[in-house]
Amino acid sequence: MSPEVALHRISPELRPLLCSVVRNGRVGLDSTNCLRVTDLKTGCTSLTPGPCCDRFKLHIPYAGETLKWDIIFNAQYPELPPDFIFGEDAEFLPEPSELPHLVHWDAGNPESLLQLVKELIQQYHQYQCQRLRESSRLLFEYDSLLEDPSYGRNLEIYAGRKNSWTGEFSARFLLKLPVDFSNIPVYLLKDTALDPGEDVALLSVSFEDAEATQVFPKLYLSPSIEHALGGSSALHIPAFPSGGCLIDYVPQVCQLLTNKVQYVIQGYHKRREYIAAFLSHFGMGVVEYDAEGFTKLTLLLMWKDFCFLVHVDLPLYFPRDQPTLTFQSVYHFTNSGQLYSQVQTSYPYSPRWDGNEMAKRAKYETPAAYRSYCKCYLL
Amino acid sequence: MSEPSVRISGTVLASLMFQHVNSDSDVEGLVLGESSFHEQVTISDSQSDHIHIEEIYNIQKHVACLKLNILYSSSGEVNLDVLQEMLADNKQDSVIGWYRQRRHSEQHMTFREKLVHDKLKSALKNPHMIFLLLTSSRVTPTDSTHRMEYSAFTSRSRRFVNIPVLVTNLGLLEQQGYWKVSAPCSASGYSLTMNKHGSRFFSPSGLLKEVDEMNKMNDSLQVELQKACREVEESERAVEALQLEVSALRKSLREKQQSSEGKVPGTSSPVEPRNNQLLLKAVRALLGSCPLLLTQRLSLQACPVPSRDTMAADSDREQEQPALLQDGRGTKQRGALQGRGRKRRRNNC
Repeated sequence: MSPEVALHRISPELRPLLCSVVRNGRVGLDSTNCLRVTDLKTGCTSLTPGPCCDRFKLHIPYAGETLKWDIIFNAQYPELPPDFIFGEDAEFLPEPSELPHLVHWDAGNPESLLQLVKELIQQYHQYQCQRLRESSRLLFEYDSLLEDPSYGRNLEIYAGRKNSWTGEFSARFLLKLPVDFSNIPVYLLKDTALDPGEDVALLSVSFEDAEATQVFPKLYLSPSIEHALGGSSALHIPAFPSGGCLIDYVPQVCQLLTNKVQYVIQGYHKRREYIAAFLSHFGMGVVEYDAEGFTKLTLLLMWKDFCFLVHVDLPLYFPRDQPTLTFQSVYHFTNSGQLYSQVQTSYPYSPRWDGNEMAKRAKYETPAAYRSYCKCYLL
Repeated sequence: MSEPSVRISGTVLASLMFQHVNSDSDVEGLVLGESSFHEQVTISDSQSDHIHIEEIYNIQKHVACLKLNILYSSSGEVNLDVLQEMLADNKQDSVIGWYRQRRHSEQHMTFREKLVHDKLKSALKNPHMIFLLLTSSRVTPTDSTHRMEYSAFTSRSRRFVNIPVLVTNLGLLEQQGYWKVSAPCSASGYSLTMNKHGSRFFSPSGLLKEVDEMNKMNDSLQVELQKACREVEESERAVEALQLEVSALRKSLREKQQSSEGKVPGTSSPVEPRNNQLLLKAVRALLGSCPLLLTQRLSLQACPVPSRDTMAADSDREQEQPALLQDGRGTKQRGALQGRGRKRRRNNC
């Protein structure tokens, strides 16, 4: 159910409360997904004219799971606070004193419901942590992570009993990795209206048994981070070591991700330096260049009254990967109707050169490359 | 281990549903009735006795709240003033729980309902309280069919468990077992009638009068039975003594007989049957020659065959003396004569 449909069907007095939930409702670590509303129903008789829905099911992402809580209002008494049914967690009974937005319910504040849900999530987190006591091994994992504030404050746990007959216990830890993504280049989205959300990296570690013999880690990146690092296949995290523990594994993954991010940031800066150097050396011959990602540069050069275009393509992992030079004619087309062009990759290059050196070398090596291009061109 | 259950009459349940159907929103209130605890003893082959407690919550009426959430706050704290006002005429003792009716929601207790239930138990000082939940939902999109579900909950060790609800009409629908207690009824007319006519049927102890008489008769019967058993036992013992005496006498008789047979020698051989020869002779003499009294055997050629007696009579005449003295030789000779007689017969025919 889309947010617009839900807002259309909800009782008008309750609409502001629901609006803040479906529009701005991001709770927990996985803030890329909004809270979702389904199963809108009414507590009024069928003779009551609509819209009069006052109860619905709220889907909340938590620790890799989706909690489905029933929220019950009363359309005839919209000032009353809501009531909750916590899905399958029938034993979850939060302490009312820890829910100030429930005790002092303000029906006129549109943020009341969202704040109350956040407080309930906090209580739910404590409830799940209490359930970890059923396994001493997993409790140790939790306690060790809790000692480090960079992990303990951004941690969600879902403890469940897989098989009620055998009593096999399982748990999932979801951690927000403390990696700085602020210097990553701005993410260019095709649809600028879509909010990519906060840049975040989440590590999910599933313990399929209480003794931690079957552990499955997985890394989740927000869209901008994933794009900046080169897609979902660009980063592979190591497998969880047998007999290892989270307090050793999580920093390892953090370091790996940090190195990758640093590499991408350095590549961006290197590209920018490269483009800047080319601009200074070939200033009058610059046709266009990528001013955001610094991945492309086009030059119009002339050699002995013969003009030609040079397209420079900088790869993502520049300077490790060599830029590609493409010579293109401004006079003639090929049989397929394209401008005649030739790609040049065999030119002197070293990733250890700075941008200025690369531009200088390119300036001096262009004629040789051009002569090679002309031979092919004339032929 | 206790087994709780809720009993509600069809009329009370129908009135609850009627109230909900005619309300524009959710409805809640208190349920009044009485709770009883019975000890049930079950004897089985595996163990000598199994005692379990049967808790029965009998819902007899309900009191609705005028407005939602008036009985408690947003955090579940019970408003005692409102509670007292609802329970006028000191009906506090008859409160056995509370109820709530919701539309289009699940048959599970909500967060606030659990809080309110615990607070209500403390406020009314009744650890045994039930929560009756009725939920209605639309089954068809055209609103032609609606479903009304009901269930009851009680708290056990900070957990809420679902307990069965039985709807009674004029009486209990159970067909098994004996009724040990009568169906509870708090109607004033019923109480008046019982007070007026009860003394005719009940003794001061509360039991039916016939029960005492039956017990006395049973005691008398037991006494007679014991008397009969004693008589049977005595007669059996007498029979046993007599049988012993008889067998002893037989034994002594046998011994005496054995000892008397041992004194006379030669009498040990069995006595052989002896023919009365004088009688035989006399009969033959009188009737032997009368052909009418003789039976004849015929051969295949229809010739009369002399009978053996006739031949024996002839041989007897010849060997009269030796036959009287020694029967064994006579037998032999008779056999030889018979053989000759056979030969003769052959020759004749």
